[in-house]
Parts: sequence; C-alpha cells; structure tokens
Amino acid sequence: MNVFLKVALLCSLSVYAWGSEEKLDKVVVEKDLPSIERGAEALMNSCHSCHSLKYIKYRDLIAFGISKQKVDGWRGEQPLDTPLMAQMSEADAEQAFSTKPPDLSLMTKARDGDENYLYSYLLAYYTTAEGVVSNHIFPTTKMPDPLGMSGSPDAAQHAVIEGQARDIVSFLSWAADPHEAERLQLGKYIIGYLLVLTALFYLVKKQIWARLK
Amino acid sequence: MANNIMNWIDERFPLTSFVKHDLTDYPTPRNLSYWWNFGFLAGIVLVLQLITGIFLAMHYKADVAMSFDSIQHIMRDVNYGWLLRYMHATGASAFFFVIFTHMARTLYYGSYRAPRELLWWTGQGLLLLLMATAFMGYLLPWGQMSFWGATVITNLFKATPFIGDQVVIWLRGDYTVGDATLTRFFALHYLMPFVIVGAVVIHLVALHSVKSSNPSGIDLAAKDNIPFHPYFTIKDLYGLGIFLIVYSVFVFFMPNSLMEPANNIPANPMVTPNHIVPEWYFLPFYAILRSVPNMVGGVIAMGLSVMLFAFMPFLDRSRIPGGARYRPFYRLQFYLFLIDMVLLGWVGYVHPTDQTILIGQVATFVYFASFFFVPMISKMEESWLIKRGLPAEVMVLIDSEANEIAKKQLKKNQRNGVQS
Ligand code: HEC
Repeated sequence: MNVFLKVALLCSLSVYAWGSEEKLDKVVVEKDLPSIERGAEALMNSCHSCHSLKYIKYRDLIAFGISKQKVDGWRGEQPLDTPLMAQMSEADAEQAFSTKPPDLSLMTKARDGDENYLYSYLLAYYTTAEGVVSNHIFPTTKMPDPLGMSGSPDAAQHAVIEGQARDIVSFLSWAADPHEAERLQLGKYIIGYLLVLTALFYLVKKQIWARLK
Repeated sequence: MANNIMNWIDERFPLTSFVKHDLTDYPTPRNLSYWWNFGFLAGIVLVLQLITGIFLAMHYKADVAMSFDSIQHIMRDVNYGWLLRYMHATGASAFFFVIFTHMARTLYYGSYRAPRELLWWTGQGLLLLLMATAFMGYLLPWGQMSFWGATVITNLFKATPFIGDQVVIWLRGDYTVGDATLTRFFALHYLMPFVIVGAVVIHLVALHSVKSSNPSGIDLAAKDNIPFHPYFTIKDLYGLGIFLIVYSVFVFFMPNSLMEPANNIPANPMVTPNHIVPEWYFLPFYAILRSVPNMVGGVIAMGLSVMLFAFMPFLDRSRIPGGARYRPFYRLQFYLFLIDMVLLGWVGYVHPTDQTILIGQVATFVYFASFFFVPMISKMEESWLIKRGLPAEVMVLIDSEANEIAKKQLKKNQRNGVQS
C-alpha cells in the first residue's frame, strides 16, 4: 500500500480511538422490540417523573410496535401526539435539585462514551463509609439514585438492576436514533449496489484502456 | 433533426466546439495515476453538498429558539431527513478529505510549479472558501460545540489591530454569538457554495489553459496525451464508485463517528464544555493557534499556516520536474510534513497538558521549518542530483525550460530597448 494512504488511514483511525478515554462498563445495546419495550416501561416507572423525552411522542412508541395498551396507560388523557414531557414541572425540579434534569431524547449520543456512559452512570451509585450516596462516574451529580444501586443489593437484585439499566439504555438508544434500523438496512442495499456498479466500471475501464496498447 | 438543432445552436453559441475542446477531446496525459482522480471527486462532493443542503434548508429554521429542534425534526419526521443530514454532515468531512488529498498530490508531484501557479492559487482560494463555509455551517445545528466553536473563532478577530473589538461585534452582529450570528451564518452558508461554484469554474479555466501535470513532471509529447473521453470519464467513474462506497460506510454505518457528543446538547451560553474542539479538518491549524502563547501571534501563525501553501511556487527553487519523484530530499520532507500534520491534529484534539503543548510547539516549529527550508534544500538537492546524474529526458526538460526563460528575457530586453 502507498505510504500516503497508510498515513491517511492511521489518521482517521486514531481520531476514532480518541473518543473513549474513560474507563466505562461496556453495555450490549439490545435492538429487539421486547428489550426496548421493557426499557420504555422501566423508564416510565423510574425516570419519567423527572426527565422528559421531548422528541418522542406517544404515537412514536405505538408506531414502533410497543403495545398500545401500555402506551394508553402511560399517556392517560393526553392526545397521542403529546411528547413525553416529565411529570414534574421544570420549576419544581429546579427547586428540588437546584438544576434541571436534562432531556433524555439524545442522551445516548450526548456524552463521551455514548451508551456505555449512560449505563455506567446508572450503575455507579454506591454508599460511602459515612453513609452518603455518591456516584463513581459523576461524583457531584444531583440526581438521586434511580435504580437503587446504592442500597447494597445482593447478587440477584444486582443482576435485576443491571438488566433494567441495559433495557433503559436500549430504549434510549432507539429514542436517540429511531431510524437506525432502517439506516442499516438501506446501507446494506446501497453498498451492495455500489460494489456491483464499481466492479462494472472497473471492467469497462480495463476494456477501454486496453485499446491504448 | 438533431443535427439541424445542433447547427442552429452552434451558429449562435460554441456548444459543439466547447464540448470537444473541454470535455470529449480535452487532451490528458495518459500516465495520470489515481491520485489525479481527486479533483473530479471534489466536484462531485460539491454537488452532493449543494443538493443535500438545499433540501435541508427547506426544513431547517435559523432561529436560536428553533434550530436545534428543527434538526431533530429533520432527523425524525422528515422523509429521509436523517439521510439528507447524515449525507451533508459526512459530506463536509469527505470534502476536506478529498481536498487535502488533492493538495497533497499537488505538493508531492510539484504540480504547483510554472506554469501552474495561478491554478494553484485559485485552488488556495477555494480552500479558504471551503473552510469559511464549513465553519459557518457548523454553527447551524446550534449545539454546544457549534456555539462555543463559533465563539472561540470569532473571538480571534480581536487580534485585528486597532479595531479588533468592533470587528468581532461586526462579525457576530451582537456582543456575543446569538440569533444575529446564526441568521447571518445561515445566509452566508447558503451563499458561499455558489461562490465556490464560480471559483471552481475559474479553477477549471486555468486548468484547461495549462493542462494537467503528470507524475513524470515532464511535458509529454502529443502522442502521450489521450482524449479525456472515454479514457478519463470511465476512470473517474470507477474512482467515484470507490469513493461512494467509503462515503456510504460512513453515512450508513458510522454517521456519528465524526460528530462531537457535545453537539447533541443544545447551545447554552452559561455552560462552557470542558473541552472545545473544532472538527477534525481544522485540528492541525487549531493546534498551531494554541501553540503560540500570545493570542495575536497565534492568530498570525494560524493564518500563515493555511496561506503558506500559496508560496510554494516561489519557495521551491529546484528546476527538477516531477516533484518528489526524482527528489529524495523533497520526498522525505513531504512525508515528514504529513506526519507532522497528523501529530498537530492529535495535539489539537486532546485536552492540553504541559506535555502536549510542548509537542505542539515542536510540531508547529517543524511545520513552518518545512516551508522555510524548502528554498535552501531544493537548491542544494538540485545541484547534488545534477552532479549525480538524472535521467536524460529530465535534463532535456530542464535545459529547454532554461532556454525558454532566456528567450523570454531576451525578448523583454529587446522590447525595453526599443521603448527607451
Ligand atoms: C428524582 C428525579 C430524577 C429521577 C427519577 C431520575 N433522574 Fe436523572 N437526573 C436528575 C437530575 C436532577 C439530573 C441532573 C444531575 C446533575 O446535573 O447533577 C439528572 C441527570 C441525569 C443524566 C445526565 C447525567 C450527566 O452526565 O449529566 C442522565 C443520563 C440521567 N439523569 C438519566 C436518568 C435515568 C436513565 C433515570 C431513570 C432510571 C433517571 N435519570 C431518573 C433527576 C432524576
């Protein structure tokens, strides 16, 4: 390979590698409907009181395939086109936590470490020797431990919480990029098409240039 | 019928002769390597950016209260809006990748040498336009990095002598980056690509007057030139196929890899991100800016680092054609320069520490030294190589070029003699 190309490749690869600096737990983001539905449910139970998902409407959940019955339970009297706004008003939240709980629609794409950050953050709660709840990843966070990691769970409870965190992350990953599945699918077709087209161009090129010799 | 129409047009407009002269029969050196594909690719990316940009503009709202939301509207609700946006965002990176490669090829093969100086300088102008366009486009999503990047960079204009503060306010339209800044950046971001199209036409007129250089650097005999069509149309199409595959991998499978997470947080003037970084294509220049302890000095160094390329026709004093091909020292210099660029890019990306600042300063020194030593090294290398012996056709070319210069000088002297 040309040295030139190697340097260019090295450059782009290293740009990619610089992104993940911190030591974060790796999470396997699930893409299947049951995981995402469980994640939506966990989120509605544990996070929705404080956090909004303003770019997701109840209608989007149904369109994605989450059971209409569940969604109807969550939205109550609100029309289908209502975004998932937090149950607590912003003013109340600000008073309670002296900061605004951020919108979660884009959260898996808004921190270094993406999904891994979110997963690690949720599981990083612990109780210090002085009995104060703290967080390894974000020590000064004002968010109360939402999943109960600081309550020294036993192994079985621990596994349940991890599963919950993974489901929530999977749901939020979908919410941040709802067209991802469609994108990957279309991408395969496009690249397949381009490979065939490029191969044809190559053959035609060889044939045309052969006239010169 | 078709013939009649063509005749009718040709009597009024040089269509057939234009197509013949500049497209189908345009003489092109047959030995061009694939590094000569990148000019065509740059044209394609420009068109891609124009088309996706125009469609994005139909859904985008340039208003600090709405622009972040309107991007999400495009990503979620507009039919294939996500595709338009990812193509456009990836396209910006692709554009710089293609242009940097195009420039590297010019530097490697010495294509900037006489008689192609004007071609090179119009290219330099295009680079500046591209940088300005990309910089303004990056503000439009109104994320944290958009806001703070624009704040940091517009702030640099404080370095303008005497009227620095006024210039900054004039650029932003306000004391801080705000709604006035967003709307003017949007207006200009929509305008500039059309200016670029005009500049590309000038670039091509210059190209078609001096014709393409080629890897040997030697002016080829007429028999070594082949018509552009079909040989280079098909070669360019094949190159385009490869390019589109790489581009599509980014667009469809890793579109977020080139986006900063902080830009998925709406702009907030009250919260500074702990790490402000520009897009990758500005990183080396940003590193140079940060390497100079004094702000005015940094701004001058950064400006110079972009503009120095334009001086290459003067700096390179070697009469040996073909750039790095016959010139081992120049080749070495070229690769060192590339490595230095990558190093600077890394320094520009990381959070500055004493160590990276030092590395950045050394790399900045090497960057400028690479240019400043070109005149000396190129001259010394030339005499060494001529003593050592060069291929006969290279020597012939050097002599014929020297003859030409002497002839021109003679003519000039005669003319002056007649006049005085
Ligand atoms: C009692 C209210 C409350 C609940 C319930 C809650 N959060 Fe939070 N959350 C907050 C507040 C307040 C912040 C702001 C923390 C800060 O910036 O210090 C926050 C911040 C966050 C952040 C951003 C952290 C960062 O890096 O800035 C994430 C991610 C998050 N919450 C996720 C969740 C998830 C997932 C759940 C459900 C499992 C949840 N939150 C439940 C109040 C809450």
